[in-house]
Amino acid sequence: MQLDFKQRELTIKLVYYGPALSGKTTNLQAIHELVSPESRGRLMTLETKDDRTLFFDLLPLTVMAGKGLQIRVKLFTVPGQVIHNATRRLVLQGADGIAFIADSQKSETNANKAAFLNLRQNLTENGLDAAKMPLVIQFNKRDMPEVRSDSEIDEMARKGREPVFKAIALRGQGVIETLVGLFELTWRRLEKDHQLGQKFGVEETQLLADVRAKLGVKRVAREATR
Amino acid sequence: MSAADAEAVLADALSAGSLELGEVARLEEVVDRRALGEVCRSFFELFSIPVRVFSSEGALLADAHEEQEICRYVNTLGNGRRACSKLVSEVKGIDPEAGAVTHPCFTGAEYRIVPIVYQGRRLGRFVVGPYMPAERREVPRSLLVLDARLDGEAARAALQEMPRVRAETIQRIGDHLARVLDLILFSGHRAFLTSNMHLASVKESFRELVDKNTQLQQAVDRLRELDRLKSNFLATVSHELRTPLTSIIGYSDMLGSGIGGELTEEQAEFVETIHGKGEHLLALITSLLDMNKLEQGTMRLHREIMPARALIDDLQKTLAPSAAKKGVILVTQVGEGTGTVFVDPVRIKQVLFNLAENALKFTPKGGTVRFTANVTEAASDDDGFGSVLLSVPRRAVEIGVIDSGIGIAPGEHDKIFDAFYQVDGSSTREHGGTGLGLSIAKRIVEAHGGTIRVESEVGKGAAFYLTIPDPDDA
Ligand SMILES: Nc1nc2c(ncn2[C@@H]2O[C@H](COP(=O)(O)OP(=O)(O)OP(=O)(O)O)[C@@H](O)[C@H]2O)c(=O)[nH]1
Ligand SMILES: Nc1ncnc2c1ncn2[C@@H]1O[C@H](COP(=O)(O)OP(=O)(O)OP(=O)(O)O)[C@@H](O)[C@H]1O
Ligand SMILES: [Mg+2]
Ligand SMILES: [Mg+2]
Repeated sequence: MQLDFKQRELTIKLVYYGPALSGKTTNLQAIHELVSPESRGRLMTLETKDDRTLFFDLLPLTVMAGKGLQIRVKLFTVPGQVIHNATRRLVLQGADGIAFIADSQKSETNANKAAFLNLRQNLTENGLDAAKMPLVIQFNKRDMPEVRSDSEIDEMARKGREPVFKAIALRGQGVIETLVGLFELTWRRLEKDHQLGQKFGVEETQLLADVRAKLGVKRVAREATR
Repeated sequence: MSAADAEAVLADALSAGSLELGEVARLEEVVDRRALGEVCRSFFELFSIPVRVFSSEGALLADAHEEQEICRYVNTLGNGRRACSKLVSEVKGIDPEAGAVTHPCFTGAEYRIVPIVYQGRRLGRFVVGPYMPAERREVPRSLLVLDARLDGEAARAALQEMPRVRAETIQRIGDHLARVLDLILFSGHRAFLTSNMHLASVKESFRELVDKNTQLQQAVDRLRELDRLKSNFLATVSHELRTPLTSIIGYSDMLGSGIGGELTEEQAEFVETIHGKGEHLLALITSLLDMNKLEQGTMRLHREIMPARALIDDLQKTLAPSAAKKGVILVTQVGEGTGTVFVDPVRIKQVLFNLAENALKFTPKGGTVRFTANVTEAASDDDGFGSVLLSVPRRAVEIGVIDSGIGIAPGEHDKIFDAFYQVDGSSTREHGGTGLGLSIAKRIVEAHGGTIRVESEVGKGAAFYLTIPDPDDA
């Protein structure tokens, strides 16, 4: 996170984490398509090999919210392939919030689990407190056959403490909800730690409503997780 | 680039937050100067309007212009020169915060100054001009009153040369150039992040490797320490066992010899058993201790030069009684010119005794056991690169213990030198033993820089040879 009180500017870093091929890059592509041009920058893809991320993707978003506060959001993806762990750890540095993109296919259950354990370990190794890290979980690829059922996911969501979203990133469904959900968590965390609202003189409800509107939540079907 | 340099670059990149947040701190960091220069040049060729690009600190990064006729003329006049340089520094000093601005020149021309904004950050500006607004017809008063020597007609003519642009066009041109620059910045930024990530990833992987290495080293150290503790334990325990055991053997020996009074036959048998088992236990403990010392490499050899014949004769004398008892013939054979060996006599006698004991053990009544000594050449154990130069052949003495007993199947030849290994079979069981003799022998011989080998087949006797090389400087 970066604060600039003079410019009334807040920069936060959100990282899309998850197993290989779960749809992290696809999430960023969908966000790039769905968010209005004045709020989004160019989607930058650093080096890929056969469409697999090698370093990271980066999508900068900028929204004006709550009385002229400029919120700059940097969305990063990590490379999901196991061997790129060093890179994953680097990209994770300085993360303010994490969207964990899981693959809904039953066959990927273990890959999801392994990637999550890897996330926990890398957070620790980067000196970040996993317990305090704002985290949302997205079950992507709901359109595939042989996926974990909605009721199973709902059941898991009830037990867990992280917000859970269902998505079909390829069709842009559920991605904005995931992003906004993560942004809200992250803002609340930063608010708790740094009293941002008071320092910037903004009111939370108003700010979150502004961000939701600017990121175009209305433009996406509400029942994305159909 | 050295590792330290690379590290410094990386630390820079990370501390500036440019990698962590993917930000661009300075225009110069990411923009390719040559590409920037070329864009400005082609822009100038297209519109004939000069362009200059400045960083946010005001450093000139690219410049495409040709001196305008009017500027050349004005610069020939003293006041003109002064006014011109004042204007130029004014224009350079403008850093528009809220968007593009237009700045007038006393000649009636104009400059347009456009901020370069990337990902919401102002990184510099570019200046387009001077150009003449298409709407202006008159030569402005500010030019006419500039210098007493100014010639109105000449100034008018020079002004005619200047490119004329409509306000709306200049705005479009500015926007267009801003977009092109944004693209150049984007691709420069991507290249910058990519190379930094390359560097950082390699460094991070390296750090990980070093970490793992340290952990492994610690594990190895711990194991070594455990091993050392085990050896110490073994040495202490063996020592503690040996003392009382020696007493038991001593007293049972005295009892057996009748010092404490006559024994009944049954009592004598018990005492004999106690004595025998005690001796056996002592031998076992001694062997274990030797093994441990050999494993540790802490067995110190006290080598001396002695005649090979002395070893053979000694062996013959020691074994003669048990050979006679078993009805096995002993033969000794020392080759001509065998001369001396360089050995620790105590240890080598122990080896030879082990071999001879085995030979007697596995040779039935009426058989023969031969002890031989001959000169040979030490086998070179190194056939690697340069061995021709590195291992000069050395004189060695080969001592053999050859029996006519039950023999050993070739498949067992390697295994019998392993600790506790005994060939399966009734003969072994009948003879007892622990299976340590040969493994100790092998280690002692190797500690001398020598080798031990066996030649045998089942039913055809066994021949054990040990080869002891002369010292290096012999
Ligand atoms: N059917 C379906 N396919 C999807 C969905 N989301 C992503 N995919 C596909 O899954 C594949 C992998 O998607 P990516 O976004 O490249 O995956 P990633 O997580 O970035 O993978 P790495 O970069 O290797 O870590 C692509 O072929 C996507 O088209 C989805 O919701 N449904
Ligand atoms: N001369 C030999 N003829 C036949 N077999 C032999 C001969 N020497 C050794 N062996 C075989 O090799 C095995 C290992 O010999 P080693 O001297 O190591 O142990 P051991 O004699 O059984 O016991 P220890 O020497 O500890 O009392 C023997 O048990 C035996 O099976
Ligand atoms: Mg990817
Ligand atoms: Mg033996």
